[in-house]
Amino acid sequence: MSPNSGQATALRVKGLWFAYREADWVLKNVCLSVPQGQITMLMGPSGTGKTTLLKLMAGILTPTRGHIEVLDHTITHQSQRALSSLIGYIPQQLGLVRNLTALENVLMGALGRCGNGALLGLFPKTEIHRARAAIELMGIADKTDEKVFRLSGGQRQRVAIARTLLQHPRVVVADEFVSDLDMALALEILSRIRRAAEQEKITFVMSMHRQGIVREFADHVVNLKAGQIESGFPPMVSQEPPYTELVQ
Amino acid sequence: MKGNLFITVVIALLLAIVLYDLGFFDSQRLLRGMRNLGILTSDMFPPDFAVLPVAGRALWETLLMSFAGTLLGFIASLPLSIAATRNLFAPLVSRFARFIAAAVRTIPVLLWAIIFVILFGLGPLAGTFGIAAYTVGYLAKIYADLFEGTDPEIVEAVGSTGASKLHLVRFVFLPEGANAILTQLLFMLEYNIRASSILGFVGAGGLGFVMQVYLQTLEYRRLASVLLLILVVVLAMDGLSAWVRKRFLITAQ
Repeated sequence: MSPNSGQATALRVKGLWFAYREADWVLKNVCLSVPQGQITMLMGPSGTGKTTLLKLMAGILTPTRGHIEVLDHTITHQSQRALSSLIGYIPQQLGLVRNLTALENVLMGALGRCGNGALLGLFPKTEIHRARAAIELMGIADKTDEKVFRLSGGQRQRVAIARTLLQHPRVVVADEFVSDLDMALALEILSRIRRAAEQEKITFVMSMHRQGIVREFADHVVNLKAGQIESGFPPMVSQEPPYTELVQ
Repeated sequence: MKGNLFITVVIALLLAIVLYDLGFFDSQRLLRGMRNLGILTSDMFPPDFAVLPVAGRALWETLLMSFAGTLLGFIASLPLSIAATRNLFAPLVSRFARFIAAAVRTIPVLLWAIIFVILFGLGPLAGTFGIAAYTVGYLAKIYADLFEGTDPEIVEAVGSTGASKLHLVRFVFLPEGANAILTQLLFMLEYNIRASSILGFVGAGGLGFVMQVYLQTLEYRRLASVLLLILVVVLAMDGLSAWVRKRFLITAQ
């Protein structure tokens, strides 16, 4: 899929094949380009390979064939530490450590830049300052020192975004990102994502099953079916009032 | 339903055969046992509390041995359990660490105490090492299994921030497993207090030596006081465990 003409490409997937078991292909010859600084949404029925594709983009899985480039760097066979400044990953259940505070969870976004001093809880002051700023940006400054298991679903979602923002990645890959939240909260969080995408020039790729959110927020849509790209297009112009208006 | 009934009948029959083999249906022997229980119980009452100062000192030694042995074992079990975690280290490393834990666990605590009495001589030092050794074998296995069961999404998410293996241990495995780590540690401490009360039987210090003397000299009233003392300590440990769990563990989701 080619992005809108004139748009720089942040992430490029070329001839990607993947199987967890030999010859049992989950992804078959996937090719796609993700435009820089935009929100690309990945759609498709469940079990179609969306999570696998996102994990491959995040460098967590290694392609069986083909390769992935992020800002012209081939990410295949790169260490997670090397990739951490390029790609941030938010799993479906967010991957937060429940028994640590929001601040401690967000600081984990800086681990790729920190040495063994972090093992003693000693993070550089600049990182702590940035982590607090990221939490504030997400609108949960009053929850900074609260343990994650005491936070609501929406607050946890913001902690996960703040952790990824602290990582300073150029691309953020998120799996069924706001699927557990009610529509109003989902839209508020995606508005923050939209601001981050614009301000920080971060590219977002996320799987999404809610049509309403796709219409409202996606700059670019990719449809995946049975492990193959079915179609990709700019989102349709919504005939309904924008959801952000409904929220307000 | 028929299958369930069949399995129940087979298990009941097996139990009956095993019990018969063990002498459970020897009524004369059982009656004699019941009579002896009556005699033993009457010999134990009233407990002789005059031995409390002596037993108290021995109990204190048992508590110190259990506390030090459990903590030493806990500290040693952490690196071993981390090395044994299969999703962190190569199979060769984790298999070797698991083999060490299994080998240490194979030897019962009483035998460890005998080994350390041979190495370090009679006294509580041998008992402390014996408890520590058994604790290492047990906790290393439990903790390695616990770490391996950590939610893979969290490991992937934190791993993708560029965290090293040590970072993952410090920020994912330990805090995520904190509840179970603490619960198992408290259980181990309680177990070791009960277990170490017999280590004195082999000269490894503590309350066991006093119990052995009272058993051999048939001073059952004194033995009863010692057993009551252990009961008090076990109940106190129960209370302490409950308090620690309430104070430090995750209670809400």
